[in-house]
Amino acid sequence: MRNWSERASARINTAVEAIVAMLMAALVLDVWLGVADRYYFHWQLPWPEVLARYLMIWAALLAVSSGVARRDHIGLTAFIMVLPYQMRRAVLILIDILALALFIYVAWFGIAFAQSGAPRQAMIFGASLAPFYAAVPVAATLSAVQLVLVLLRDMGGHVDQPPFNDHMAEKIS
Amino acid sequence: DGGTIRFGHDNKTDPFENPAHACTAVFSNLVTSGTNGSVNVEVFGSNQLGSAAEHVQQVRDGIIQATLTSTGALASYYPRIDVLNLPFAFNGNASTYAVFDGDFGDALAADIEAELGDVVVLGFPDTGGFFAVTNSKHQIADLKDFEGIRIRTMTLPSHQTIMQSLGAEAYPLAWGEVYSGLQTGVIDGQMNPVPIISFANFAEVQKYMTLTNHLFSPYTMMINRAFFEGLSDSEQATIRTAAENCVTASRGLSRIIEASDRGLAGLMDDIEVTALTDEQRSAMAGAAQPAFEAHVAENMDERAGELLGMFKAAVAEANASTYLN
Amino acid sequence: MIVAIAFVVLILFGMPIGFAIGLAGVIGLIDMGGTQFLAIGPSKIFNGLNIFPFLAMPFFILAGEIMNDIGITSRLVKLAQVLVGRFRGGLAHTNMLASVFFAGLTGSATADAAAFGRTLVPAMVKEGYKRDYACAVTAAGSIIGPTIPPSGLMVVYGSLMGVSIAGLFAAGILPGLVICLVCMAVIAIGGKRENLPKAARGATPREIWDTFVSSLTALAMPVIILGGILGGIVTPTEAASIAVAYAVFIGVFVYRTLTFKGFYAMLVRTARITGVIFVIIAFAGILGWWMSFERIPQLIAETVLGLSDNRYAVIAIIIGLLLVVGMVMDITAILIILAPVLVPLTEQVGLEPIHAGIIFVLALNISLMTPPVGACLFVLSSVTGERLERISIKLFPFLIAEIAILFAFAFWEDAALWLPRLLGFAQ
Ligand code: NA
Ligand code: NA
Repeated sequence: MRNWSERASARINTAVEAIVAMLMAALVLDVWLGVADRYYFHWQLPWPEVLARYLMIWAALLAVSSGVARRDHIGLTAFIMVLPYQMRRAVLILIDILALALFIYVAWFGIAFAQSGAPRQAMIFGASLAPFYAAVPVAATLSAVQLVLVLLRDMGGHVDQPPFNDHMAEKIS
Repeated sequence: DGGTIRFGHDNKTDPFENPAHACTAVFSNLVTSGTNGSVNVEVFGSNQLGSAAEHVQQVRDGIIQATLTSTGALASYYPRIDVLNLPFAFNGNASTYAVFDGDFGDALAADIEAELGDVVVLGFPDTGGFFAVTNSKHQIADLKDFEGIRIRTMTLPSHQTIMQSLGAEAYPLAWGEVYSGLQTGVIDGQMNPVPIISFANFAEVQKYMTLTNHLFSPYTMMINRAFFEGLSDSEQATIRTAAENCVTASRGLSRIIEASDRGLAGLMDDIEVTALTDEQRSAMAGAAQPAFEAHVAENMDERAGELLGMFKAAVAEANASTYLN
Repeated sequence: MIVAIAFVVLILFGMPIGFAIGLAGVIGLIDMGGTQFLAIGPSKIFNGLNIFPFLAMPFFILAGEIMNDIGITSRLVKLAQVLVGRFRGGLAHTNMLASVFFAGLTGSATADAAAFGRTLVPAMVKEGYKRDYACAVTAAGSIIGPTIPPSGLMVVYGSLMGVSIAGLFAAGILPGLVICLVCMAVIAIGGKRENLPKAARGATPREIWDTFVSSLTALAMPVIILGGILGGIVTPTEAASIAVAYAVFIGVFVYRTLTFKGFYAMLVRTARITGVIFVIIAFAGILGWWMSFERIPQLIAETVLGLSDNRYAVIAIIIGLLLVVGMVMDITAILIILAPVLVPLTEQVGLEPIHAGIIFVLALNISLMTPPVGACLFVLSSVTGERLERISIKLFPFLIAEIAILFAFAFWEDAALWLPRLLGFAQ
């Protein structure tokens, strides 16, 4: 079960990160285009500024699930380190379950939120706001799925045995 | 007991500083006193509960009960509001009062209510008057002066169309970057109502201002329909009367601000101001109005075309009538 | 009350701070009763992030990633080393000084923290500094960015309160420089105790020259960014994307070390760091909305300000209030909610509007590095992997020094308004 959830989490995360990388690349190109337009092309495009915000939101929110998979999200650990090991694991499992509840809430109400964007105009490409608003429920669902998988993978042991040795900081220092 | 009207808006919470809060202060006072306190009003200004567009959604969802919203923020829910952007329509403030208090105002309110389904429109308060154009290249007096000037507009296709038809280049820029953009020259100029130009301190980074008066963009004041219909007839009547006075207050304060050091009178010290002659203004109208009408025909539905026709007729009638005559 | 208790308990038990803020906010919404309030959550998440200038953060993080990868950073660090490396804590001083130079490029503390967290912190660690100390120095210096103009916060304050933005910019220069000098003094005083490294010998003029030449491409970066902004080509937010463009150009055409695979990994890492920070901002939107709706900030303000009407007491109370609320709330939310309540009080006690403005901006900037809700701490913690509480402990002396500077400028009007008066923005 533990191995299965570890593999599933990693697989989903690899796919999500590929999408996120493409969104980031598109974001960079979009802002470059906005500058080049004003300075060089003079097309007076209405959409680079708006699209940049929506690409940024999609990329950042999708990356939240990646942070869940890699246990990147920052918390204070000073207090729980004082607790005995078994109790610490129980507390951390409970915390994971509460976080899961939070993301299920966001995903559930996020669906209605995305639907509320359908009749509204995004002011670019004649599109509605629904595909942009959908970032919230999609990202929350992914985060919820990742939370279940990493809960099974770590069972509260992640503060004592971090799941990734190659923390992003170690790579660069 | 009718309950509490939570009223959100996106302006500073000083009734002497901006028409939105003046309007809500008058509304709040008249509703609370007029219903003997059975309905009371809590005002949330300064974007405390979100942006203007979020306020509209919150009113529709019954989270708050009332809001004042700009046409830009309403446009994503009700695109036909764009017909109000007919450039160079009004020949003075009094004409705007006549049009929005008259049959056209009724028709627009009814159309918004039909489209959204969950709100009641209470009126169209003043946002601070007509739009002016500022820039740092050279003074704009004639149509040809717009040539090659790069103007910041909102991300609103009709605003871009209007500026382009005058010969300027129009680039959308986020509000938070306008001041520094004007300062460094990323963009040459911008357009906004005079009080906004004043409070955003654009005179510090701009040399010239032209009183083009090319746009008038009122707030739309709306209340949640289920809440409103749950009130007694006399409470509803009190709210209607209070809303009418709210609109009047917004107009009075807007004219006062224009005349004070927070408006045109104050800006004149820091920026070179030009008013247009009738000939200069009609040349600009001749360039911008056909382009705008083409934009409406191409991008909007038939009902928008009808509304635009009604709007033009109402404006023509209001422009033709003279005060006390 | 239940919201506050839930928030504290969740944070103590190690829930990621962003999630704890979100859960506390949702508990608030449930407490209000009625499912229509629960529907507000996703909307606040989306709209809390729907702000164009936020783009500067991922872009500067990405530019820092590339600069690291292709070796621009290490050349800059080498240069700083040959120049001030012979002093104890040379790189720490370099970090502080670099923040002053960088302040002319950026209007945001988080962009500064992201750029230096990515570049100078690893370099300092390599030199033998403790990572928590390196992060603390970076955090302390990061608030110089939005204090010396341009400053995003000053633009928001000026527009919101109708105060001259140019005047606020002028008022920020002196405090920004003083913060740099005082923090360098803190580094020097604590240098022995922290056992900060220093180079064994000074560099020869020949070494300095060679290092200078080899770091020219790196030194051109700020020149290009600043030139782009002041030359009117890009806005400060877009300038961050120019930093990315320049780093890519150098990596591909000059050093030829930037690979597609490497670039892909950098894009992913940038997005992950951005996600960690943005999830906090997003969930803070829910908690902030609940607090606004319940009028909690106004309640606190009224209670506290009922205490005194003495000018200095009111200033002290306002600063205290901003710093305390700044511990648990995002500073933009504080500005929007508290400034309209507090600024009229500064008028009552006769504070010049620009003076009041600079007090607000400095206090809120300092809140960016007070735990548990401190955006600069989040950025540094996520880009370096250092624990929040460890950075906070090392940050303490700097924090005290910066709060002292804040009080000095708040009480000494002539110093705070010296430059604005000289330039004609204040009487
Ligand atoms: Na700055
Ligand atoms: Na803080």
